[in-house]
Amino acid sequence: MIETVKLSKTFKGKKAVDEIDLYIDEGESIGLLGPNGAGKSTTISMISSLLKPTAGDVKLNGKSTIKNPAEIRRILGVVPQEIALYEELSAYENLKFFGEIYNVKKTILEQRIQEILEMVGLKKPQKELVKTFSGGMKRRVNIAAALLHDPKILILDEPTVGIDPQSRNHILETVRKLNEENGTTVLYTSHYMEEVEQLCKRVYIMDHGKVVASGSKEELLSILSTEDMIQVTLSEMSDTVVEKVKSIKNIRRVDATDKSLRIISKKGSSILSDLIHAVESEGILLTNFQMETPSLEDVFLHITGRTLRD
Amino acid sequence: MFSFIKKDLLVFWRDRKEVLISLLAPILILVVLHVAFSGISVKDAGEMDLRVGLILEDDKATGLKQFEEALLEMDLREIEIDAMMEQAETLSPIGIMVKLFEDPELSSWIHTIEMNEEEAQKQIENGELDAIIKIPEGFTYDVLGKVMLDEPVETPIRFQIEEHSLETDILAGVIDNYMEALNFQFALSAVTGGEEGSEPALPQGGREVIKENAVEIELAQYYTIGMSSLFALFIAATVAAKTVTEKRERVFNRILLTNSRPFSYLMGKVISTFCMAWIQLMLVFVVTDLMLGIFPEKSTEFWLGIIVIVTFFSLSISGLSAIFTSLTIRMHNINTANGLFTMVVMGFAALGGNFFSLEQFPEWVQALSQWTPTGVVIDLFTEFSQNGNAISFAVPLMKQFGFFIGFLVIGILLFPERGKS
Ligand SMILES: Nc1ncnc2c1ncn2[C@@H]1O[C@H](COP(=O)(O)OP(=O)(O)OP(=O)(O)O)[C@@H](O)[C@H]1O
Ligand SMILES: [Mg+2]
Repeated sequence: MIETVKLSKTFKGKKAVDEIDLYIDEGESIGLLGPNGAGKSTTISMISSLLKPTAGDVKLNGKSTIKNPAEIRRILGVVPQEIALYEELSAYENLKFFGEIYNVKKTILEQRIQEILEMVGLKKPQKELVKTFSGGMKRRVNIAAALLHDPKILILDEPTVGIDPQSRNHILETVRKLNEENGTTVLYTSHYMEEVEQLCKRVYIMDHGKVVASGSKEELLSILSTEDMIQVTLSEMSDTVVEKVKSIKNIRRVDATDKSLRIISKKGSSILSDLIHAVESEGILLTNFQMETPSLEDVFLHITGRTLRD
Repeated sequence: MFSFIKKDLLVFWRDRKEVLISLLAPILILVVLHVAFSGISVKDAGEMDLRVGLILEDDKATGLKQFEEALLEMDLREIEIDAMMEQAETLSPIGIMVKLFEDPELSSWIHTIEMNEEEAQKQIENGELDAIIKIPEGFTYDVLGKVMLDEPVETPIRFQIEEHSLETDILAGVIDNYMEALNFQFALSAVTGGEEGSEPALPQGGREVIKENAVEIELAQYYTIGMSSLFALFIAATVAAKTVTEKRERVFNRILLTNSRPFSYLMGKVISTFCMAWIQLMLVFVVTDLMLGIFPEKSTEFWLGIIVIVTFFSLSISGLSAIFTSLTIRMHNINTANGLFTMVVMGFAALGGNFFSLEQFPEWVQALSQWTPTGVVIDLFTEFSQNGNAISFAVPLMKQFGFFIGFLVIGILLFPERGKS
C-alpha cells in the first residue's frame, strides 16, 4: 500500500533520515521503534507529505506521492507528536472544525464526532476548552482529530509520551481496536518497546536515520543471538544427568546449580525431546522448563550497543 | 471556507478581552494626542476667555498735531501737507486697534478693558488680567511717521502677559498681524491716494485667527484618520501573527493534510481581519467624535459616507493580511516576519501620509501615495470631510477593491504547499 524508496532527508548537511526502505501493507500494524533523534518523526513527515524528501520517494499503490500529495493525504490520518489543536477551542469545536475541513458530510459529522469522543473516552468534557485539559486528555483529542474522516491508514507519532498509565492504556486499546476491528492500517511510532511489542506485528528499528533491523517480532528476536538459553528444574540432581545432558547434540554449555540446569544451545535447535529422554533415563523428573525470552529492547541493545531511552 | 471563518472568529472571540484592548488602543492614543494638541484644536473659540487690559496713553488728536508739525518742518508744499494730513486723519491706528477687539469673533473670547497703567499692573499681578496691551504716548505719530515718511519707530506697542498660554500666543499673533496689516493698509491708502470715504478695512488678523482655528479642527480629523488607518493596518499583522501559533502548534500541518484550499484557509484570516479592522475604525470614529467632537457635522449622509470608506479600506487591509499570513507560514523566523510586516505597515503609513502631509514632497512621492491603501483612504476622507457627498467615490473605492483582490491573489500565490517544519 505504502512504500518508501531510499527515502532520505538532510537538514543542513546532517542526515536525519538516510535511505530508508519500508513498506506497509493494508491492514497491517507496523511499529517504528527508535531512540530520540533517530529520525522517526522526519520519516513520518515525509510519508504524510508534510516534508519534502531530499532524495528518494514515497509511493502509494506504486505511484509517487511527491508531486501530487492530495491522494495520500486523503487516506491518511496523522497524529502528530505535538498536540496539534486549538487550545482556545473546546474538544468538540476542534473536532467539528477538523471534520468540516476534512469534508466529512454534515449529516454524519455530528454522529461521527460523538462516536470518536466515546472511543477516546472524552464524551463528558467535550465542551471544555482544550487548554484546560490534562496532558493525557489532550493526547486523546489529538488522536480523535485524526480519525474524523475514517482514514484507511493511521500514523501515530509517539502518541503516549508523557502521560499517565490510564490514558496510555486507553490509547493503546483504541489503536488496537481500530486495527483489529476496523481494519485500519497502523503505523505506530514509539520509543517504548513494550507498546510496539504489544501492538505491532511487524517492526522497523531505526537509529541515526537508518533502519537497523526489521521484521516480525520473532524474526527480530532471532537475530539477537545464535544461541538459545533454557532454564530447567529437575526433581533430583545427579552428576550423571549433567553429563548426559551435556552430550546432547547442539547443546553447548550446561551449568548446574542445586536442582536446576542452565542450558545454552544452538539457536533454534530442537533439543527438548533429547533433553526429556536423557533426564527420564536417569529416573529423574523434569519439573520446569523455561526459554529465557529476550525483548526488543535487548535486540536494540544488541544491534546498537545503546538502550532505547537514554 | 466558512469553517475557517467560523474558527478564526471563534478563536478571536475567545480572546476577546485582548482583542478589545487592541481595538481600543488607537482611541486612547487619539485622546492623548488630542489633549496634547488641545490648545490649538479648541472646539470653538467660546471656550477661550482672555481678559486684556488696554492702556491708551496716546491720543489721536495730539498725534495728528505732532505729525502736522513735523510735516511743516519739512520742505514740502502746502498742498502735499494737506493731502498727507487728510490721509493721516482717516487712518487712525488707535481706532483700528480698538475696532479690532470689537470684532464679534474676537470679542467673544478677548475682553478688552480700558484702564490706566497703574490699575492694569495691579490687576495683572493678582490675576484678574491675562495680558496688557499698552499703546504708548506718541504711538500715532510714530506709526504715521513710519508708514508715511519711513522714519524709524521709537515707541512700539508694549504687549505684556502674565502667563504664557496658547490664548496669549494667539493674542500676540493678532497684534503681530495687526501691525503688519497696519503697514499694508497705509501703503495701500497711499497708493490709491486716500479716496474719499475709503475707511480702512479691519486688519486681517481677526479673521485669520478664526481660520487657524478651523484648520486645527481639521488637524484633529487628520490625526484621527491617520492614526486609525495606521492601527487598522497593524491588524493585518496581528492576525497574521496568530498564524504563528497555528504553525507552532502544528495545527497548520493538520490543515494541510485535509487538502483544504489555501483560499479557504486565507479567507478565515481575511474575514477576521476585515471584521476587526472595520470594528476598530468605526469605534475610533464614533468614540472620538462622542468624546472629542471631532466631526462637527453629524448628518446621516456623513456617517454613511464614513461607513462606505471604512468598509472599503478594511477590505484592502484584509487583503494585506492574506499576504502577511502566507509569509508568516513561509518564513522560518517569526521575528523577521514581524519586523518585515512592521516595515511594510510603516512604509504604507509614511507614503500614505498618515504621519505628515506629503504636500512638501516631490511629485512622484505624491503620485506613489495614490497607490497605497492609506494614501487613497486619507485623500478620500479629507475630500469627503471637506466637500461631503459631492465628491466622486468611484475611483478611490475601486482602487481599494483592487488592492484587496491584488493582495489576496499574492497571498494565495505565496501560500506554501507543504508546511515548513
Ligand atoms: N527542521 C529540522 N531542522 C534541522 N534538524 C532537524 C529538523 N527536524 C529534525 N531534525 C534533526 O533530525 C534528527 C531526527 O529528528 P526526528 O525528529 O525525526 O527524530 P525522532 O526519531 O522523531 O526523535 P524523537 O523520539 O525525539 O521524537 C534529529 O537529530 C533532529 O535534530
Ligand atoms: Mg519524533
